Amino acid sequence: MKSDEQLMLEFQAGTVGAFEELFERYRNPIYGFFRRRLNNAARAEELAQETFVIILRGVEQYEPQAKFRTYIYAIAIKQLWSERRKEIRADKFAAEPQEASRESDPSTALWIRVALAQLDVGHREVLMLREYEQLSYDEIAEVLAVPINTVRSRLSRARTELKALLESQSARGISR
Amino acid sequence: MTHREHPIWEEELMPYFDGQLDGAKASEVANHLETCEDCAAAVADANGLSQQMTEWKVEDSSQSMRERVLTEMRLQDRSKRSRQRWAWWTKPRVWTYGLTGAVAALVLLTVSVPSLLRSREVQTSASLNMPLTGVVAIQDEPSEIPRPVSAPTRAARAEIQIEAPSGPMIIRSARLTILTKDFDGSRARIEAIARESQGYLDQLTAQGEVGSGRTLSATLRLPSGATETALVELRKLGKVRQESQNSSDVTSQYVDLQARLTNARNTEQRLTDLLRERTGKLPEVVEVEREISRVREEIERMQAQQKDMNNKVQFATIQVSMSEEYRAEIEPSSPSAGTRLRNALIDGYHSAVESVLNAALLVLLYGPVLLLWSAVLIPVILLARRIYRVRLG
Repeated sequence: MKSDEQLMLEFQAGTVGAFEELFERYRNPIYGFFRRRLNNAARAEELAQETFVIILRGVEQYEPQAKFRTYIYAIAIKQLWSERRKEIRADKFAAEPQEASRESDPSTALWIRVALAQLDVGHREVLMLREYEQLSYDEIAEVLAVPINTVRSRLSRARTELKALLESQSARGISR
Repeated sequence: MTHREHPIWEEELMPYFDGQLDGAKASEVANHLETCEDCAAAVADANGLSQQMTEWKVEDSSQSMRERVLTEMRLQDRSKRSRQRWAWWTKPRVWTYGLTGAVAALVLLTVSVPSLLRSREVQTSASLNMPLTGVVAIQDEPSEIPRPVSAPTRAARAEIQIEAPSGPMIIRSARLTILTKDFDGSRARIEAIARESQGYLDQLTAQGEVGSGRTLSATLRLPSGATETALVELRKLGKVRQESQNSSDVTSQYVDLQARLTNARNTEQRLTDLLRERTGKLPEVVEVEREISRVREEIERMQAQQKDMNNKVQFATIQVSMSEEYRAEIEPSSPSAGTRLRNALIDGYHSAVESVLNAALLVLLYGPVLLLWSAVLIPVILLARRIYRVRLG
């Protein structure tokens, strides 16, 4: 199987099929990235689409020194931060109701979402990139532009905090 | 708990769980987990948490997103191919190179064509007016000397042994207009050139006062063989503003004149013999003597013409018109402020004109060459840089 970088270089050289293969590899992970971080499914799809469009338009600037995986997630995370800034300006973030994912388990998944939402933003992002996007510590450090030791410490704290939050939620649920 | 009592830091457990430790460190932690219940529980917690998190699943992206992205990709691809097809035409660089090349070619044509035409004109003029090469050729091949063919006394002279000249008879003349700074020195030099060339100063007229722009007109008669050397020396007197040279082949006229002269002498001889050998009536004698006198007069006239022609052939005529390059000077005794300002203004004006002229001359002198080499070298350098970058990857 060809690596992502090889496919990107082939697409750079004009092979349309190479991008189609890349797109098939990343369409669901990138959509999932936005979907887990935004309440609006349609907006998540738009941003996922925009991420691929940015890659299409910037294909001539792509250099094989960069891993495609970190390249695409770096674009996605910038899109996400931009979206969050817009939401803060429009004050939508708090106003919009939390829209449940169609396939999520209402009992566990909802607890996870609520608990994650209570984490510190920096800790949450590291944990989600590790658990859902399956990025390595090096890749997370590169995508977030932070030192690798920061990734380690944030990840450790995020897991501890999340565990505590889930336990407290569980205790409240049982007491009800 | 110290590191000695507990060899694995808590922060190392998460990298172990996430598979981010190298082999040796991972096996060290794994060994530790077998003996440390706390650490094993922490890893189990992390594992449980991870399992819980995976419960949060999201739906796949829609098919419509796939279609939109792939449509965008095809549009981009088409646009890219179109850009590549016409890239050479729309790139400003191509326009720059093209225009530079065209301008360079135009400048070269502008500079070279008139020069070429001038050089051809000069060659034509030289071949018409200065047949020096022709003279040498004629000297080498005396059989090609033109013979008189239309003289009125051709039939009579056919029987006469004509004394042909040893070579072609060329009358040479030149005219020089010179602008000199050292008027007196140049005048003396003109006289010296006439002496050194074994020639003479036929005429010399100088006009004007010292301190003003003086002029001189001189006619030098110099031996033909020394003409070239003398012209070279004369050119050194100052800036040559105008020069023309002319040469005229009078061989046929000379031969014709000589034939007529010989014929006239023979006639004179026959008349003299007739007068001496035969006696007749007085009117007839008078008539013969009158005829002898007329022929004698004709002979003398032709001899004078022959002498003049010989003189003109042997001595070339060089006419020199010389003028002094005059510069206004301010009298040191009366440096009034107005005069000084005026002169400063004039000098400033001259300096400005001179600098503009110098700049124009510089541009005209080196501009075409720079443009030409720029048109050649810049594309080569850019191409080399591009190849270098491509190789660097």
